[in-house]
Amino acid sequence: MKKNIIYNIFFIGALLVGTTLFAQTVTGTVSDSNGPIPGVNIIVKNTSKGAVTDFDGNYAIDNVDQNAILVFSFIGYTTQEVSVDGRTVINVILIEDSQALDEVVLVGYSSRKKSTLTGALAVVDVEGLAKVRTSNVAQSLQGQVAGVQVASSSGAPGGNIEVTIRGVGTIGNNTPLYIIDGVPSRDISFLNQSDIQTMTVLKDAAAASIYGARASAGVVLITTKSGKKGKMTLEANYFYGIQSATNLPTMLNAAQYMDVTEKAWNNTFTGTNPYTADKGRADFGDTDYIDELFESGSSQNLQLSASGGSDKVQYLMSLGYYGENGIVVYNNDKYQRLNFRTNINAQLTDKFKVGTNLQLSYSIQDKVPSTGESLIRFALLRAPVIPVFKDVSDPTYSAEDPFTDMPFFTSTGYDQGLNRTMYEMVGNPIAQAYFSDDRTTRFQTFGNIYGEYKLMKDLTFRSNVGIDLSFYHDKTFNVNYGDDDGGGSAIDQGLGRRNRPNNLGELRGEAFTFTFSNTLNYLKTFNERHDFSAMLGTELVSNYESFIGASRSRFPYTVDEFRYLDQGGSGLDVNNSGTASEYGLFSVFGSTSYVLDNKYMVTANLRADASSRFSENNRWGYFPSISAGWKISDEDFLSDVDWLSNLKLRASWGQVGNQNIDDYSYLELLRAGDIPGRDRFGNPDLKWETSTQKNIGVDVGFLSNKLVFNAEYYIKNTTDILLPIGLPGIFGDLQPTIVNAGEVSNKGFEFSANYRNSDHEFKYSINANFSTLVNNVEKLHPNVPSIVTDKYRTVVGQSLNSYYGYKMIGIYQNQAEVDSHLTAGNAQPGDIKFKDVNGDGKISPDFDREFIGSPIPDLTYGFAFNAEYKKFDFSLFVQGVSGIEKYNDGKKIVDFDTRPFNYTTAILGSWDGEGSTNSMPRVAFNDNGSSNVSSLFVEDASYFRLKNIEIGYTINGIKGFQDMRLYISGKNLFTSTDYTGLDPEVSGLVDKGTYPSSTSVLFGVNVKF
Amino acid sequence: MKNIFISILITFCFTAALVGCTSELDNEPIGRLTEDLVDTELAAVTLEALISSSYHPLGNTLNGVVPGWRWDLGTVFRNDIVLQDIAANDMNKKWNPDGDQPWMDKVSDFSFTTENQAFNGIWVYDFIGINRLNLGIGFLTDGETVPNSGMSEARKNQLLSEAYFLKAYYYFDLVNNFGDVPLLTKSPESFQEAAEASVRSPKADVLTQIASDLTTAKSLASNAKYPDGAEPWRVSKGAIIALQAKVALFSEDWPSVLSLITELDGLGNYSLNTEYFDSFDADLEFTDNEVIFAYDHRSNETPNNTNGLRDVVGWGFFAPTDDFIQAFEPNDPRLLYTTTGDPDNKASYKIRGSVAGNPDYGNKIYIRYADVLLWKAEALLETADLSGAITIINQIRNRARTSSTADGSVIPPGTLLDRASSTNASEIKGWLMHERRVELGFESHRFNDLKRWGTASTELSSKGFQSHHNLFPIPQIDIDKSGGTIIQNPDY
Repeated sequence: MKKNIIYNIFFIGALLVGTTLFAQTVTGTVSDSNGPIPGVNIIVKNTSKGAVTDFDGNYAIDNVDQNAILVFSFIGYTTQEVSVDGRTVINVILIEDSQALDEVVLVGYSSRKKSTLTGALAVVDVEGLAKVRTSNVAQSLQGQVAGVQVASSSGAPGGNIEVTIRGVGTIGNNTPLYIIDGVPSRDISFLNQSDIQTMTVLKDAAAASIYGARASAGVVLITTKSGKKGKMTLEANYFYGIQSATNLPTMLNAAQYMDVTEKAWNNTFTGTNPYTADKGRADFGDTDYIDELFESGSSQNLQLSASGGSDKVQYLMSLGYYGENGIVVYNNDKYQRLNFRTNINAQLTDKFKVGTNLQLSYSIQDKVPSTGESLIRFALLRAPVIPVFKDVSDPTYSAEDPFTDMPFFTSTGYDQGLNRTMYEMVGNPIAQAYFSDDRTTRFQTFGNIYGEYKLMKDLTFRSNVGIDLSFYHDKTFNVNYGDDDGGGSAIDQGLGRRNRPNNLGELRGEAFTFTFSNTLNYLKTFNERHDFSAMLGTELVSNYESFIGASRSRFPYTVDEFRYLDQGGSGLDVNNSGTASEYGLFSVFGSTSYVLDNKYMVTANLRADASSRFSENNRWGYFPSISAGWKISDEDFLSDVDWLSNLKLRASWGQVGNQNIDDYSYLELLRAGDIPGRDRFGNPDLKWETSTQKNIGVDVGFLSNKLVFNAEYYIKNTTDILLPIGLPGIFGDLQPTIVNAGEVSNKGFEFSANYRNSDHEFKYSINANFSTLVNNVEKLHPNVPSIVTDKYRTVVGQSLNSYYGYKMIGIYQNQAEVDSHLTAGNAQPGDIKFKDVNGDGKISPDFDREFIGSPIPDLTYGFAFNAEYKKFDFSLFVQGVSGIEKYNDGKKIVDFDTRPFNYTTAILGSWDGEGSTNSMPRVAFNDNGSSNVSSLFVEDASYFRLKNIEIGYTINGIKGFQDMRLYISGKNLFTSTDYTGLDPEVSGLVDKGTYPSSTSVLFGVNVKF
Repeated sequence: MKNIFISILITFCFTAALVGCTSELDNEPIGRLTEDLVDTELAAVTLEALISSSYHPLGNTLNGVVPGWRWDLGTVFRNDIVLQDIAANDMNKKWNPDGDQPWMDKVSDFSFTTENQAFNGIWVYDFIGINRLNLGIGFLTDGETVPNSGMSEARKNQLLSEAYFLKAYYYFDLVNNFGDVPLLTKSPESFQEAAEASVRSPKADVLTQIASDLTTAKSLASNAKYPDGAEPWRVSKGAIIALQAKVALFSEDWPSVLSLITELDGLGNYSLNTEYFDSFDADLEFTDNEVIFAYDHRSNETPNNTNGLRDVVGWGFFAPTDDFIQAFEPNDPRLLYTTTGDPDNKASYKIRGSVAGNPDYGNKIYIRYADVLLWKAEALLETADLSGAITIINQIRNRARTSSTADGSVIPPGTLLDRASSTNASEIKGWLMHERRVELGFESHRFNDLKRWGTASTELSSKGFQSHHNLFPIPQIDIDKSGGTIIQNPDY
């Protein structure tokens, strides 16, 4: 009954279908070799009428025309059409379609049968992804596709995700291009994972070159779900998760800290050791700041969707909510997102079809400072002897700000004697978490409207208008707190030293990208053996972004209701700002393919792009590709080989481009304003970066494609790299000039295997993939033989951004060892012994630094196992990288700084006399060699992580439900790594100690009505 | 019929896209001055700002030149105090030894490497100034920009005079610290030209350029003590002549030193203040007689323009060495103004610009008349006018002993007695060296003085000074960035 009501609500318009004269009720059972299948969709062809099999595989449809055709479909099975022919009982056995080889795959502006594809592209298992529950769709690509590497910049709620396809080919922006329902974007964080129908990664140039100038970092095509003819589905999914920080270091307690600092002082200075006297002070606390900072967080997700349709109109509506409350105390780290989606397709006439896929999303991100100079860093550094809270008897205590700040601060004088020097004054991370008020909201409208017209039987014209319109608002209120150290300008005397004076900054911006593409598609089969297709199109992308910002200070009232600009001081420090930028891209492109006998296939693409980012002389770029395939398994000489179900060889060559640089990069820029000057030198010759890629691949299927392998080898050479080159400091504070210089190669092998066995009650599948990568800089700019930072550099013959510094070869055990190794300098026993490369008895930067590691992984892999037994299902997903190094700057400042920060317990193993250790230098307040960039901080960041494990149970046949699945799922439950930083998975070349990733347990329920 | 309609639609779609493209691709950049715009209509306010912002690298506003607490780059404030007072034997990093900012300790004990950020900091500051000036001088002298902007000829000359002086000032600082340095006579036209200019020029060539720039600056300057009454911090003719004298002094061109100081005196703008502290008192800025060139820190400005060293001192930095305190004669009132010498009251009144208060607008003094007088004394001494030298030294001592004391105490008779007449030139040189140290303490002259006098190797040998430290190392970062076209000083 309930079901009927729902039907009525959702189908009120769609049910208006002509009645039939000779109607009857059809019943039956749908099964496969193992028995009845529940949940099979049955529709009466060309009507909206349909049914779904119940738990026992039974169905019944009323009023079926005697001559109607029933369509039976179920995921993983070949769809069957059965004529009624006057029967009233129709039992059907569905045949499993183990690899669904002939599914149609979107390859750009057109679709192709998967079996005739010639490029390297990977169709992501979206069903499998559904179990890797992430807030950001990009994150869910991790470990799924060979050749795709995913890392996050921070574990904070709503943190940024970096996706790398086939290595880093450029020195600048390497973000892939996402095409969502035909609309381009560089970010997919606004998408709702449950709305995604297909995801296809275009890896080689042959596949991606149809996106020309923007495709060199790879392309990910995403389509969102649409309704199915005849079948009404109403679904609700919900999960709740609890997460906690993982892989946290063990810090020294107060007593250990005093012992270590005492020793460090003795190892550095002479005289009366102030730490000795201070031991056991009455006002000391014993604080574990890491423990104080983190609590358990939570996440929840609710998704409601309804979909269905008639022959003419199909629809999908969905509502999603995702909320995450991070693991830092006081709940100022949160991420929430609300998504609405409407997808509609309508066949207006036989020839004319229109549709839209439109999403509204609204996200709210509350941030605590979580990367760089973050509160995590402060929690690692703050001396454990300082309590979190002041004593109520302290004259500087207040209920509004009960937190300790400067070490043992008691009065308003700004000289705090030795306390200041002895217990380094990093801020109180707990106070920082408490006072944080930094929120970004974003409202985004993203989607397309298309019209498709069949000009002739084989020729279709399609026009697609896409918009990506977002409004964002950053609002940060910096509460004044902390101790009064006497600083600040005259009018701010007496305020605490943090955020002095209080201030509010707001920024409102908008970004609008308009995409208008028009394509003609021609598809024809001649003489049943020549499949010919051609596509021709134009596209215009234009973007305009602008923002205005304002700030005020000295808010007399700071409660939430007064955190608005009007409430701030109107005299001093009233600021405003605003600017805009725009770019345009116009393209003409075409593609053609020819397939003979489904065995021999060839495809050619060409795209011409004109970008406003280049000067008129170099505005147009041309990106061709060609690819070919040979399906050997269809040759006569293999027709008798039953176990080999598919064998296809593919080869491709192509070029794609990159224009992902700032607008106006070719122009010399001078800035006006208070501090005018040159922003950068221009480069009128600036042109496209081109990446030429060769790919060979093989697809093999065995045993009716139960077992399939796919292997690819590629060589990707990026030339004319858009290289930001900074001049020496003698030219002042310049931004780097973008020049086309250099060549980087990426070579790699990608392998994936899939085995599926559904022959028995215990059904399971195994997916495994791995990819290798060798990155090498082949050439650089003649003026700039190397691109240099203090910790890593890019030079010919090394991989991009290789770490560069001294190589630690041990610890000087005694003065004799120092003297025999060095003739200059003032190293002492216990200091780090560096390799003297040129053997001149001096350690000097010009001669003794070497390459000491690469941030690019040699190997990336993923492994998934899924199984079903009766009503239970189970899945497991592991993922990892190896052969990667990372600069652990957090370790440097925690265990090796000369200031009296707290230390990890690793410091307890410091050098303490001859023979004590050869790996950990003496603890000291002067330099023991650790101020140098050296191999000591470059660590192996390989890891192996159990990303996800899930057990589910499905209940059928509850009244009112079609089925209901309950599950429990664990994320990041186990990690194996030698990396000593907080998270080996974090992106970035220099790890300063970020918001750690968390381990979580989710409980969820999916209900289908 | 329908097909025609469809064809029209399709044609429209394709052409709409084509037409759209031409306008979308040719938009002018938003909010950026392109070369075309600059050539035709650079605003006078931009020209003014180019020159006034060229003063910023002389200031000590925290992060005022390079934003964002870049301790790692040594750019939080101007490093004169580290490279002069700490490198010499006057100042320790902090009152209590600790591990904070160890790079300053490494300058102090000469254990620094070429990567030490002290050198990068001063290098970056000076060159940022030079590049802003080259750009400004280029516009002011191209013959078109100024008329188009509506700026008056007199204003142009004033700004140019300031610009040439400042450029000379930055270059003089660079050659004293580093010896040969890249000589950028004008703003490079292109990236290529800039890359090719990344080589060091001989110090002599740089000095020639400094002399020429100062001559030009002087020819454009008016005689007024404050050429712009509303903005008294601007470079005056007095500052230009004084810097010429200082350059001559460092080149040991004694007759020029004397004639230039005579020229300076001819302006009639400067004399010793009655009170020693008046030059430093934040509340007496630009009303005293002695200060010739200073950077004007100011409160409540956007961007921030306050005296950041006040805060740094507040964090316990910049303590006197025992040797420095002992250098003062008993009851010399200048000691207490320079440093409290008291670990329980860590302060330098001279640096913060006040004895009792803690203002944020105390100026950074670069040239004051007492310094000039002591140059004159030195030049007289070197040209065998011994009594003339002694007279000046005594003039300085007299002013000191007749000044009020910081703590209000009465200076006992017999304090800082006049130096007796002497015919022993080396004795007088000793007096002169002593007087400079105590009169100009913590004013960032000391290390240059020791190098000039050739006494660094004796005075600082116990700290680890070796002869190659007469030139600081070129910052490693720029050697690396230049790809080796900028080469390091010897023995580093």
